[in-house]
Amino acid sequence: MTSARKARPMFRRLLLAACAAAFAAPAGAATFRLPAHTKTTFENGLTVIVMPARRLPLVEFRLVARAGAVNDPAGREGLAGLTAELLTQGAGRRDARQIAEDIAFVGGALDATASIEQAVVTCEVLGKDFATGLGMFHDVIVQPTFPEAEFKRKQSETLGAIAAQKDDPGTVANNELGPFLMGESPLAHPVIGYARTVGALTRDDAVAFHKRFLVPDRCILAVVGDVDAKAVLAALGKAFSDWKPSGEKPADAYAPLPRDGGRRVLIVSKPEVTQSQIRLACGGVPRNHPDYFAITVANTILGGGFTSRLVNEIRVNQGLTYGISSRWGMYRNAGTFTISTFTRNEKLRKAVDATLGVVKQLVDQGPTEQELAKARRYLTGQYPLGLQAPDALAAQLATVEFYGLPPDFIETYTSRVEGVTMADVKRVLKERFCTDDLKLLVVSNPKTAQESLAGLGPIEVKEME
Amino acid sequence: MRLASRAAFALALALAAASPALAAGKPATPAPAAPAFTPDLLQVERHVLDNGLVVLTHEDHSVPTITFWQWYRVGSRNERPGITGISHFFEHMMFNGSKDVPPKEYDRILESNGGYSNAFTDRDMTAYYEDIASDRLGVVLRLDSDRMAALSLLPDQLRSEIEVVKEERRLRTDNDIQGMLDEQLYASAFDQAPYHWPVIGWMADLNAITRDDMVEYFRIHYAPDNCILVLVGDFETRAALDSIRAYFGGIPRQPAPPEPIVGEPEQKGERRAEVHYPAQNVSVDMGYKAPGVKSADLATLDVLERILSAGESSRLHQALVYEKQIALGASASFQTHLDPGLFEVYVELKPGRAAADGEAAVYEVLDRLAKEGPSARELEKAKNLIEAGFVRRMKTNNGMGSQIGYYEHVLGDWRAMFDQLAKVRAVTAEDCRRVAKQVFDPTKRTVVSLVPEKEGDAAEVTP
Repeated sequence: MTSARKARPMFRRLLLAACAAAFAAPAGAATFRLPAHTKTTFENGLTVIVMPARRLPLVEFRLVARAGAVNDPAGREGLAGLTAELLTQGAGRRDARQIAEDIAFVGGALDATASIEQAVVTCEVLGKDFATGLGMFHDVIVQPTFPEAEFKRKQSETLGAIAAQKDDPGTVANNELGPFLMGESPLAHPVIGYARTVGALTRDDAVAFHKRFLVPDRCILAVVGDVDAKAVLAALGKAFSDWKPSGEKPADAYAPLPRDGGRRVLIVSKPEVTQSQIRLACGGVPRNHPDYFAITVANTILGGGFTSRLVNEIRVNQGLTYGISSRWGMYRNAGTFTISTFTRNEKLRKAVDATLGVVKQLVDQGPTEQELAKARRYLTGQYPLGLQAPDALAAQLATVEFYGLPPDFIETYTSRVEGVTMADVKRVLKERFCTDDLKLLVVSNPKTAQESLAGLGPIEVKEME
Repeated sequence: MRLASRAAFALALALAAASPALAAGKPATPAPAAPAFTPDLLQVERHVLDNGLVVLTHEDHSVPTITFWQWYRVGSRNERPGITGISHFFEHMMFNGSKDVPPKEYDRILESNGGYSNAFTDRDMTAYYEDIASDRLGVVLRLDSDRMAALSLLPDQLRSEIEVVKEERRLRTDNDIQGMLDEQLYASAFDQAPYHWPVIGWMADLNAITRDDMVEYFRIHYAPDNCILVLVGDFETRAALDSIRAYFGGIPRQPAPPEPIVGEPEQKGERRAEVHYPAQNVSVDMGYKAPGVKSADLATLDVLERILSAGESSRLHQALVYEKQIALGASASFQTHLDPGLFEVYVELKPGRAAADGEAAVYEVLDRLAKEGPSARELEKAKNLIEAGFVRRMKTNNGMGSQIGYYEHVLGDWRAMFDQLAKVRAVTAEDCRRVAKQVFDPTKRTVVSLVPEKEGDAAEVTP
């Protein structure tokens, strides 16, 4: 909420922060060698990865904890998010102000946020400020003080942010999609929580959440950048020796999603919009699924990149939208498949029908050999782009560890993508993608939307709270 | 779906040779360490082809990829009423067919070679880039030289693509509160200057732009002598330059496009506007007239922006979010523009808080800064943030290319980034006080506030 607001130039295509760049990826011809890195497990159970990368005088610290929204107790939705935000609002000897002041003084950045399955703390400083960075990074993770006044302030800001999210049609669609698709699953609720649950949280809840979930045996710590591996391991070992493990074996917090048949339609009412937000979704697969590469290639053909079937038909041929993409959300035990787009209200039905038609045709008939070759090449060409910056490298290394992927996942990414065959793609299109079972959610004017979506399935209209 | 912060256009600054020593007698302020960003981190070759095309190259072999940027010296400031939005529409059309590359082929060829492209249009510029494996340099040179030489602008593609642009306008402006306020702020603050109209263009103009307008626009603005190429990454400079010459060298130069007429009358009093729209919280968007690139005070303005807005220890956050607890967020933004622009302040209030509360709190912060100036530590912190920010933008080939192209275009010389950081290092508390007093003048202010309405019938956009 504090980032400076920059003027907004107009882009040719949507920048989808979370999905496109993160798994961006090696070139075919050139061989890519990942810089050497070490993995160690400390006595307290903390997994530590260190990768020296010395092109720039920067160091990135990244801690990934199994402490995301999926760990929110029922009725306390939003707790993981609020707890993460509070880590930087008082820790060790510093109060909130001092933390903000000290990290800014060295031109660094210190952030803590939660996502669906993770709490992530990052700290980026210039190499010369390694000690300052490590000290603050350690304190916010191990010794947050959760001052009552800061708890109250952050709780109130969160309630304000929940209200503000209702003003953005795309965010409304994303927040409403989880419960619509996943019902009671702990994956379903928005990370920020609901006004009624956030309003009921107490400081004790945050303290208890931190104590239970931000423990070394649930965490991965990656350091990438202008460091010497030996020295940094010694420094980390010393700094984190006071961090006590929970001794609990982390239990999986949730079960896979059931896949119910048939189509349902939810219209979230927003009478003032001239453009409808559209989501089509169904259950998917977990992140470490054996079909990961085949699904990734198939999805690139359907709705990844800029020459996908969906972009080609809905944007380029028909001019119905500025952006359309399909995406697999893959978590530890479950996943989702979602197509996202938007169009002017008058074209809502046309856009939905055309989108469903594109999916069905690809699933029924499969792609051409040329499309398959293009998708493979696109994925392998993009991959090294996400391996340039220290923070991106740290995120990739932590992801491999978090989901228990093969240790050579990054190095073998290219050959695994290249190994995906036409038979693989056709099979996963039939087995994993959905057509008739896609659930439809729109954020629109309920009157016109109800008329235009008639006949697609049972329609429910939901008022915004 | 806000824009990601990937667009790194805020002024970024590099360090010149030495940082000035701090004056004695400031016990709370540690002495600055050795500079983190030095010119040896960014060695660039600059060549100008016979047709006027500027080519900037920086070799870096860490990852087997390259970024190829093309910066055209044209943006919405080069438009006129009636065809607003043409620069941005044109940017979309650059991917829609040229002499040897039929419609759809640009993206197909690029992605078949593992490449990624995007582009953006702003008030002062239109820029395109591709990220691709280092052995595919020839692919992007062929695609990008063909569209610079001979863009097709086919009627079918124009008809379909304008609908895409209108959806973009509906997404970013007509159904987005910050977009609505931003458009109204510039429309209210500027009378004559081209910054009056939005980059995306007025909806009525989008409906009216003709193919002839587009053809003329291409002829005037898309010439090699109106463009800067930036190549960063894993390549051999000699060989790459030879290829660039072979692909782009034969495109003929054009007469220099006319400079836009900018004669904004002096603002002689505060301007206020309201946007009525269904919303949960009140927001206020403020803009103070600020100088353009010719000003000697750019470095000071950058420092002021950081003091006011960088991180949670900044003055606006501390006052509005932390102490008074009236806002969800409060930030300032100053960007160096070719023409005089705005120093912006944006506040999103908490539920139940009025615009007047936010305004009063902002004015208190600005007045105090203009009266007292920053503390020594605050000043040093802002300078450190600017320097570290520069290092950060060097993390990717793309970020480096963006930086080099921005400085070459806006400041006229990519090396200006080094001068600029030296100037930042030299900014004094007195400079801050003087410039704050001059810029944060209530009679040069425009304030747009969002007035939340009950959800009801939509206000239709002008057809």
